[in-house]
Formats: sequence, structure tokens, C-alpha cells
Amino acid sequence: MRWGMVINLAKCTRCHACVAACRIEHFLPLGMTWPRLIAWETNIPGEELTTLPVRCNQCKEAPCVDVCPAEATKKREDGIVYVDNDKCVGCRYCVVVCPYQNRTFFSRDKDPGFFPGHERTRFEKVGRKLYPHTSGTTEKCNFCMERIDAGTAKGLKPGTDREATPACVNTCQARALTFGDLDDPNSEVSKLIKGKNGFQLHPEYGTEPSVYYIDSKIGNALSNVAPREAQTASHMQHLSTQEARAREIFRKK
Amino acid sequence: MPQMATRQWMATHEWMVKPMHQKEWIERRGIMIWIAETFTSLGSGLFLVSLFVNSWWGLLVGWLIIMFLKLPLHIAYFGKPWRFYRTMPPFSNAWKTSWFARGILFSVFFGTFAFIQLLAGQPDIANWLGSSIATPIYYVFGILAGLNALGVGIYGGFIMNYVKGIPFWNQGLLPIVIMLAGVADGFGLIMGVGLAGGDASVHWAEMGSRYLLLINILLIVTYLISAGYTSPTAKLSIQELIKGRTSFMFWGGLVFLGLAVPAVISLFGLISGEEANALLITAIAAHTLGAFALKYCLLKVGIYRPLLPKIAAY
Repeated sequence: MRWGMVINLAKCTRCHACVAACRIEHFLPLGMTWPRLIAWETNIPGEELTTLPVRCNQCKEAPCVDVCPAEATKKREDGIVYVDNDKCVGCRYCVVVCPYQNRTFFSRDKDPGFFPGHERTRFEKVGRKLYPHTSGTTEKCNFCMERIDAGTAKGLKPGTDREATPACVNTCQARALTFGDLDDPNSEVSKLIKGKNGFQLHPEYGTEPSVYYIDSKIGNALSNVAPREAQTASHMQHLSTQEARAREIFRKK
Repeated sequence: MPQMATRQWMATHEWMVKPMHQKEWIERRGIMIWIAETFTSLGSGLFLVSLFVNSWWGLLVGWLIIMFLKLPLHIAYFGKPWRFYRTMPPFSNAWKTSWFARGILFSVFFGTFAFIQLLAGQPDIANWLGSSIATPIYYVFGILAGLNALGVGIYGGFIMNYVKGIPFWNQGLLPIVIMLAGVADGFGLIMGVGLAGGDASVHWAEMGSRYLLLINILLIVTYLISAGYTSPTAKLSIQELIKGRTSFMFWGGLVFLGLAVPAVISLFGLISGEEANALLITAIAAHTLGAFALKYCLLKVGIYRPLLPKIAAY
């Protein structure tokens, strides 16, 4: 089993919902972003500004795993590469060696608070307890492995059942992100990669990323945008899940 | 107008779209890496040269540079300095795959073996032990310390060489350039040890420095030319060195101070047949500053290939 993601570039609407969902899911401080949406300009009429959603590629041959002197960066059997923040010494070799630059060294200055100069919000305070980020260590996207573990423990299937699927995939209103098992030839991700000539970023490095891209017709043409009702329904569903979770946390407190 | 607003907002995310500089190891706290790496070259180079010319004072200075300048700076750079022990066995077996972990092991072994060698070579202790015991200890631990000093001097090159995203670093020649530059620095410093009244021959060191300087000039030129052919991003790095933001450090620090000044002084010594102390001190100072400039240039022009090379034409 090897978890992977397929990103349909034609469907991505640059809404940044995946970035926001990740921030909420992992209580990310303002100075740190795990998934990103990179943008550049072209001369193609109607597509002057194009974007590419990126996140840790969970490489099969991850250079960050090899170089970590403290063995703090590890690869699980399901292919997820994660950082054990209790072991990380903060040498930043993994940050430098990642050819995709998808790692962030988390220092105190990257956590000014959502409203710098003011008291931290209740959301932030709860986040500190639920998902503590250790300053002086390196962090990165982990494909929401906590959700996957919790979901699979309940017998759910990541990529199919929302509770076991990464937050960014759940929240994508245009359904541009697909998650599943790359080793299963019948999974949706495998079919998409095979059927639509999925490509990886910089395959020549030999890192074998687990994030694939399809439909290189990059852009946000109207035909590619999901209907407004679908967008709203998907987004509201995600918000309501988060709201329910927050209510539960405050109730416990 | 709304599109303009979007455009301005999105522009902040132009990250890895164009070639992007490596910053972790040269900016802000990263300056510590630059200085520590320079001390690595100076210390290991001096130790190796001192081992070759059998200069106890040179060995001591080389050991002090590694143990009290290089290592503390490297550890201080860590985000969690007190966890440094986690990089070594039995806490980690990363030395099997990581040059960083190997480098730390080389440094620890070097520190230990060289310390024993220095003790055995110290006249009072050697007399107390007796030459039949002290001499074998001195040579055996000298060989062990020398091998580890070689590791200390070269591992930085392998660390950088492993970074596939930075084509300028991802060159097979880099570890050799860094190692030989370190040995050349060692020849420069051993002259200083000789001038300060140590047990090194200034004339011999000056001669060795002359040859190493010539080899280094050829090696650096070869490196720059060969790197330029490998990738447009590496070419960009070279352009930045030659005429970009780092050109002052390259021309002023590396070429003028590190190579030209010692070469001219060396040539003067060769022609006149005598070494004036003031000139030699100038050559040593210039050579040492050149060592700092070399590491700065290498770290500063580390540029990543963009994520989509076709779009950025890299």
C-alpha cells in the first residue's frame, strides 16, 4: 500500500480552500504553510495567471529520510513520510535537500499569532494543546496521517470515506484532488494516472513522488469550475465538520 | 480592477516558479554554517598538513579550531542544540545514509584520536610514558586522527553535493574542491605556525602552498566551467558569482585575496629567493579571508531548479 494524490490541474480553481483546510486541520501558525498554491504568469489569453497546488510529495525515495542525521524523518509502510518532532535536532539539512522545497523550519518568529500584538484566540489556544508545533524543528505535510490512522482503525477507506481522507481533499470544492492507494491498480488514483497520463514533478531526480498531476491544461476556465451550488455545499460541509469538532473541544474544556 | 487585485495577491506565492536561492545555510542564523564550514576547512587542512610535516603545534591549532570553533558553531545552529547527541549511535544509525551524520561521527572520532595523539606527542607526557610507549601511540593515533580529519574536511562537500535540487552543488568535483581548498588553507596556516615560532618549516610550507595554489586555481576554474554546462540553473549560479550580487565576494574575496595575493607573494618569493615575514603574514591573512569567501560564494549561489522548468525556462 502506498498512499498517493492526484491533482487535476484543469479543475483547480485557485480558491486556496486546501491551504485553509490544512491550516484549520493542523492549527498551523501564520508563518507556516504545508500545502501551497504557486502562481506564475503566461501570455496565453484567458490564462494569464496560472497556478499549481503543491505539497510534500511523500517521495518513495525521499532524500529527506536519507539525510536526516537523527532519523527524525521517517517513512511509514504506507509511504507517508513524517517528522518525529521529539527527535528532530533542527539542522535543516532536510529543508535544504528537498528539491521541491516543501519543508519548513518552524521558528518562534513564524508564530506571531493570528492577530499579532493581541491575545491568542480560543482557536489558537486549543490548537496549541491539540496539535503542538515544536519550534526549532522541521515540519511538513503528512497527508493528514492522523485522520488516515483514525479512519482506517474504524474500518474506513481513505480516499473514499471523508473521515479517513486528508482535509485538503475533503474541502476541495472543484474535486481537483483525489486520494487513494497507488499500489492498487483499481483505485481511482491509479486509474486517473494511467488514463490521463499523470506526471510527477522532476521525475529525473529519482525521488518518485506520490503526488501526481493530470490535465496539464492549466487554468481556471469557466467550464472547469464546479457549479456554484456544488462549491457551496462542499465547503459548507467541511465548515460544519470543523465547527462540530471545535464545539466538542470547547465542551470538553 | 478585481483581476489586478487578485494578481497582486497571487504574486506573493511566486515561490519555486523562478530559480530560488537556498537561504537556510547562509542567511540569518545560517551565517553560522558559513563560518563553521570555513573553520572546518581551516582546521582539518591545518591538521592534515601538520601531520605530514610532523608539527605538534600545527596539530594542536588544527584540533582547537575543529573542537572549539567549528563544532560549537554547528551545534549552536541547530534548532534544538541540546539534542545533538541524537545524531550519533546508539541514538541514531543515520550514518549509513547521511553524510551529515557521518560528518558528526568523523568530528567526534577526530577529536578523540587527535587528543590522544597530542597527549602522546607532548614532550613532558612523552618523557613520562617513555618513548617505547609514547611513539607508537603518537603514530597509531596520528593515522586514525588523520583519516578522520580527511573525513571532516571532505564531508561538507558531500553534504552539498547530495542536494539534487541545486545543480551548482550537485557536481562530482565539489567534495574535491572543498577538500583541496582546505589543504591549501592548511599550508597557509602552517606558515603562520612556523612564523609564530612553532615547529614547522616556513620554507617548506611556502613551497607546498605554491603548488596547492596552482592546483586550486585550475580546479576552481574547471569546476565553474563544467558546472556551467550541466544546467541553466547552475549557469545562473555562475553568472551570479561573476557579475551578480555575489560578485564582490567572488572577485574581491576569493579571486583577489584568496588566490591572486598569495600567488603574487609566492611568485615574488620564488623570484627573489627569500621570504619576507611581512609578505608571508599578508599571504596568510589573504589566504584565510579567501577561505571565508570561497564558502560564502558556494553557499550563497545555491539556486534551486524551479518546480516547472519548462515554464521558467530552466
